[in-house]
Parts: sequence; structure tokens; C-alpha cells
Amino acid sequence: MSSSTLGNIKLKAKDIDHILPYLLLAPSVLIVLCVLVFPMWDGLRASMMNYKYGNAVSFVGLDNYRRLLTDLQFLNSLWVTLKFVTLSVAIETVLGLALALFFQHEFPGIRIVRTIVIIPMVITPVVVAILFRLIYASDAGMFSALSLLFGGQQVQILGQPVPAFLGLVALDVWEWTPLMFLITLAGLQSLPQEPLEAARVDGASSWEVFAHHVLPMLKPVLAIAMVLRTIDAFGTFDQVFVLTRGGPGEATRLLSILGYETSFKYLATGYGAAMFVMIGIVCLAFAIVALRALRRVQP
Amino acid sequence: MKLEKLRYVLVAIILAVVLSPLYWLIATSLKSNKEITQDGTLYPHEPTIENYLNLFLHKQFADYLINSLVITSVSVFLALVFGTMGAYTIARFTLPFNLEKKTGMLLLLLRIIPPIIILIPVYLLMLRLNLLDTWLGLIITYTSFNMTFCVWMMESFFREIPIDLEEAAMVDGDTRLTAFVRIALPLAAPGLAATTVFAVITTFNEFLFALALTATPHAMTLPRGTATLIGRIDTDWASMAAAGVLGATPIVLFALFVQRHLVRGLTMGAVK
Repeated sequence: MSSSTLGNIKLKAKDIDHILPYLLLAPSVLIVLCVLVFPMWDGLRASMMNYKYGNAVSFVGLDNYRRLLTDLQFLNSLWVTLKFVTLSVAIETVLGLALALFFQHEFPGIRIVRTIVIIPMVITPVVVAILFRLIYASDAGMFSALSLLFGGQQVQILGQPVPAFLGLVALDVWEWTPLMFLITLAGLQSLPQEPLEAARVDGASSWEVFAHHVLPMLKPVLAIAMVLRTIDAFGTFDQVFVLTRGGPGEATRLLSILGYETSFKYLATGYGAAMFVMIGIVCLAFAIVALRALRRVQP
Repeated sequence: MKLEKLRYVLVAIILAVVLSPLYWLIATSLKSNKEITQDGTLYPHEPTIENYLNLFLHKQFADYLINSLVITSVSVFLALVFGTMGAYTIARFTLPFNLEKKTGMLLLLLRIIPPIIILIPVYLLMLRLNLLDTWLGLIITYTSFNMTFCVWMMESFFREIPIDLEEAAMVDGDTRLTAFVRIALPLAAPGLAATTVFAVITTFNEFLFALALTATPHAMTLPRGTATLIGRIDTDWASMAAAGVLGATPIVLFALFVQRHLVRGLTMGAVK
């Protein structure tokens, strides 16, 4: 042990051990700092500049943000986004929970369901939008074809504000209910069975067992799923871009679409950046809530 | 017994709701435009694969597919290598000031926030680096998106491996590095598979940054190319449907093939 050569070799190995964690961590942290963190700061800076034709011409402080507060198009877009996110996430959560309760006990059909419901989540979102354009189309659509078959008229969906908005919500529900279903199902199946059995023995009805025992225990999982889905829904872009491009009128112009058009179509880069910062702040608030919940469930 | 029957009815309804849009897409892709708009048939009466041939012969779909495959595989590979290394540090070492925990939280936070909020600055960055409309520009972007995810997933997998195994290996003469490579890494292989599967799917499907960062078939990915095509051909339903089928088939097949690895990634490890 006290032999100097042996000690030296040990010291060397230990030296490497000392810097090893930093060596292992460095590449990922460096890449993330350069490509994610620096751009966040840069985006904040861009949101305080005035851009002309894509070039920053002057520093304007918080002017872009002040302008947002009185910009009717932005406020309308914010309203559309809030409606879209709330409605979609609410429907997806309720449907997902209902399906999960129905399928919580193993039976032969469940395997097919599990396999099939994976498809909407993994299909390229751009293609999901194509799917729904094809279904909704008044001349080539599935709804129109079925309606004509039964002697009805062509069905108009994407051409009118309210149906187009609901059509977008339906798309989101089709795409993401499976996720809520799978998360809730996994949560349900991991619940301890003893308290539920005990309640049943005590004469509680199915509804009472659900309301007083299952739901409270399931709450953390449901909360995480809802928060993650909400943040994700705020960033919805691809589907709207292909389905409606925000139209008709302003009916489906989510903040993401407005921000994209403001910066890349109208080249008001600074103003667009300010919109994205606003989305970022909302998501950050939700994300911090999500992180807390995640840490509680998975220490 | 009644519940049992109700369940099968429900299964049938779910199958119909999920599959009928897919059926309609595939059916439309096999029809001619005349059949689609004038006859309004419910299934292709004269099936044709002309719509598909068109996309490959005249619309550069082969280019898009190659771009997608290269960009996806390189960026997922880089993120897996570096991300697994970083995850190991966060799971196994204690650094001064709890640095490893703080890094983990930062990466997770970055993972949760939708990337759209850094669209403009990333565009400006690639503009400055002269990387617009190149493979490299998208590879760098996607690698960093995947990195946060890989670190988070792999860390949770490393935590499930008992540390005793590595300690035993080190008593037998392994260094920390060789213990990581020889012991922990093989045991985390299923986690690696799950992480890869999910990263491949999200990367292959990414559209927003491909939209902003590429402009020609030189670097356009499959979703980007598909969206451009249907932007131009507003009423060419047959091509649109065929493009949709081509755009989705690789990733759906891949997902169904590896589905048992999927759920954990989708739920970000919130539920195991």
C-alpha cells in the first residue's frame, strides 16, 4: 500500500476518476448551452429590437411587448390558443380516463387496442393534418362521400370559422387521446389494490370507490399528463400549418402560426420574437409546475 | 357478461375511429383525381399507383427520404452517445454544489418547453454560421433537442441498476470508466433501445425547424417536402394522399415494430 510506485498508479487512476464526471457531462452540456440556452437569451434580445427586412436596426426596449398588449390580432390569437388548448386537453383527459377505466382489467381485446392507439401518436403530424384535410374536404372528403351516399349534401368544414376550429380540436383529440389513455391506464394498473378491495368490502359502490379512492390516488399521474399535454398543445404548429394555415379568417390562427408568419412572412423578426417569448413564459410557468410534480412522483 | 360485450363494442368503435381516416388516406392515394372529385367512390374502383410514381419521378421524394434518414440517424446517434455519458454522471456522481442535479433539472426544463420559442434565434444562429439549407444545420439542431431527452431517459434507467455491480467491478480492478462501459452500459441496453426508438420518431417527424431552416430538396426532410408539395397543389388530392402515405409509412412501421419500447418515452418516464 505504501509502495510509491503502486501509490502513483493509484493516484493516476484516481485523477482520471476525479475529472471523469466532468468529461462525461461536458459534451452534452456544451451542445445544449450553444444550441438551446444561448438562443433563448438571443431570442430575448431579439424581442427588444426593431427589425427591418430581417435585419436588426434599433434597440426598442419593451416596445414590442407594449405593442402586443394592444394588438387585436395578437389578443385574438391568444384567445384562440387558450380555447384550443383548454378544449383539447379537457376532452383528451376525460376520454382517456374513461377509456382507461373501461380497459383496466386485462382481456383479450386490450392488446389490439394498445397496438392500434399507438398509430395516431407516432404518425408524422404533417400527415395527420393531411388525413384530416382529406376527411373534411367538401369535394373529396370522407364525410362528404358518406353524406352523398345517404342522399345528403356536401359537408363544409374547413371553409367556415366554427366548424374549422372544432375540426382542429377533433384532430388534436384523435392524435393525443391515446397518449392520455396509455398514461392513465399505466397509472391505474400501478395503484395498490388493497384499499380498493377494503372499500368494496365495506359496501362502497363502484362510483364511491372511484371518487373517493381511485381518483385521489390517480391525481398525481393525471396532473403530470395534463400539464405536459398542455405545454405541448401551446406549441402546436405543424397540424394547423397544413390543415388551415390559421384560416378561415382568424379562426384557427394559434399564437405559434401568428408568430411564425410575423417573423418569416412579414419579416418583423423582433415583434415575432416577442410573441414567442410570451409563449415561452406561459410554458415555463407550466413547466415548473410539471417539474415539481415529476419530482414528487419519481424521486 | 354485459360489460364484456360492451367492451367489444367499444373496441370496435375505437378501431373504426382510429383506422377509418387511415383507410380514407390510402384509398384516396390509389384513385385518380377524376374518381376522387367526380365519382366520390368509397373505395378505389380502378386502383392506380401512378400517384406514387409521380412523387418519386417528378417531386424529389427520394431526395427527401434520404435527407430524413441521414439527418435522423446522425443526430440520434450523437445525442445517444453524448447523452448517455452525461446521464451516467448525473445518475452516479456527486459533484460540488450539487452541480449534477442542477444540470439534470436544467436539461429536463429545456425538454419540457416546446422548441418553437427558440425558432427565431436558432434560425439567426444558422444564418450566421452559414448552415441554412444544409444537413449539418438540422443535425446540430436535432442533436441538441434529442440530447435533453436522452439524458433524462438514460439517467432514470441508470438509477434502476444497482450500484453494487459497478462497485464490485471496481474492487476487481476496473476503473470508473471501464466499470461504466463494461457493467452499467450493457445493463442499460433496454433503456438505450427505448430512448433510441422515441428519439428516432420525434426527429423523423419534426417539421417546424425543417420548415424554417431548409428551403430546397438539397436538405428538405420528408415532412418538410410533403408540406411544400401540398402547399403548391391545393386540389391535387391524389398526390396529397400518396404523399401522406409515403410520409407516414416508414415511421408507423418502425413504431409498430418496436412498440413495447414506446410508451415510456411518450410519457417521459412519468409512468413506468
